[in-house]
Amino acid sequence: MTDTLLLISLCAVAATATAAVLVRDPARQALVLSVLGLALAVLFTVLQAPDVALSQLAVGSALTPLLILLSVRKVRRRGRREEDGR
Amino acid sequence: MNAWLVCASLLLVAGLLPVVWGTARGPLGHRVVAQNCGTSVVCLVMLLLAQGYERPAYTDLALVLAVLGPVGTLVFARLLSGELDEEPRWGRAVTALTVAATAPVVIASCAATGPGRAAVKVVFIGVLLAAGNVIASRTLSGAHRNPTETRYD
Amino acid sequence: MSRRLRMWILAVGALGFAALFCAACPRLPAFGGDSHPYGERAVRAALAHRTANVVAAVNFDQRAFDTLGEESILFASVLGTVVLLRQTREEREVPPAPARVPLPVRRYALLLLPVALVVGLYVVAHGQLSPGGGFQGGVVVATALHLLYIGADYRALERVRPVGVYEIGDAAGEGAYLVLGLAGLVAGSSFLANTVIGYGTFNTLASGGIVPLLNMTVGMEVACAVVVLLARFLDQAVEIEEESGR
Repeated sequence: MTDTLLLISLCAVAATATAAVLVRDPARQALVLSVLGLALAVLFTVLQAPDVALSQLAVGSALTPLLILLSVRKVRRRGRREEDGR
Repeated sequence: MNAWLVCASLLLVAGLLPVVWGTARGPLGHRVVAQNCGTSVVCLVMLLLAQGYERPAYTDLALVLAVLGPVGTLVFARLLSGELDEEPRWGRAVTALTVAATAPVVIASCAATGPGRAAVKVVFIGVLLAAGNVIASRTLSGAHRNPTETRYD
Repeated sequence: MSRRLRMWILAVGALGFAALFCAACPRLPAFGGDSHPYGERAVRAALAHRTANVVAAVNFDQRAFDTLGEESILFASVLGTVVLLRQTREEREVPPAPARVPLPVRRYALLLLPVALVVGLYVVAHGQLSPGGGFQGGVVVATALHLLYIGADYRALERVRPVGVYEIGDAAGEGAYLVLGLAGLVAGSSFLANTVIGYGTFNTLASGGIVPLLNMTVGMEVACAVVVLLARFLDQAVEIEEESGR
């Protein structure tokens, strides 16, 4: 029966990872990526690897979205300036 | 497989699937609300798994998520503030639902651990999670009020 | 060295690796089997050094040298990012405008900041007992500091975050790990051997020999490295602009 839990978490990871690929805008991708981190953390815990799950939660819940969104903001700002300059 | 793990499986299916659906499509505001809801769902699943596997140390996962999950949502609310131009329709209902789901899980976990430091820790996780969820959700529903203001801070 | 010669050397190396890898594969234990020869030995070695969290014992005792490599990777990559994201001659610094943050968010962030700091330090300190350790706790501590950016604005964060100090902390954490390793060498055994101090009492904070000490150095290194990394990203996204007329 424990396999059911493993199967559910594996399906959740597969579904979220597919969604992360299908969403094309980087800012929206960061949102799906953060949910993918949550699904991966559940999978790692179900596989009895809480240390890895904790690493995933620590990095994936706030740090990765912050890095991605800051990069997106920088790139967009540069694009906007170039449009204004023309 | 005990009752805790059955509950965790049901919560995963009933909670995480709508969250994945919600974050993958729709207006940006709805997606952030769905992501916020996902944090709560997974935090509660972690509490249930800690009970189900009889490993009190696994509650650390729920603790870290209860601290950092709402921070992640606030990061999205802050850095996407110019684009959250529509009030999330189901924002309030979703938040009320997740906060209401927090209570039974925390109470059941406390009852199972018995009085002591472990129970205090579980209550602390529940309070942190509910408070973070409510604050993040209120920020999201307030973000649409001044959508034209672009912040360069 | 010509391109052709380099490809030949690569091919020889790849062939050698493939041969050794294929020779090793048949002797691996079957997937999902009952016998875990490495796991049993690792658990026995962890219990012999009174470390409750076997993963911490593997990371910081049995394979502490590998963790030194991982730590150095983070150190080097942050160093590379600092060099890449520096302010160039064509860019200028624009003071960021103060942000208007809703009052509940401000209160929540300022209340959560000490809580998150304590949770991070707790995760570092309990690495030898429960899931977690230097890396996870260090990331939580670094994220906690950035609650100031969420709760107030970038200027408030800059006031309490002298990047120079964190750069020194980053290097000091890396150096302290090496010094602890050398202490093992001086004490008469090998580099990073867990023989410097006593093993303590099983399942208490003072257990596992040098495992908690190594966790602390890694926690310091990771926390400082993440702060420095985010400082570069925030500078680029918030403060630095290219000169007009580019």
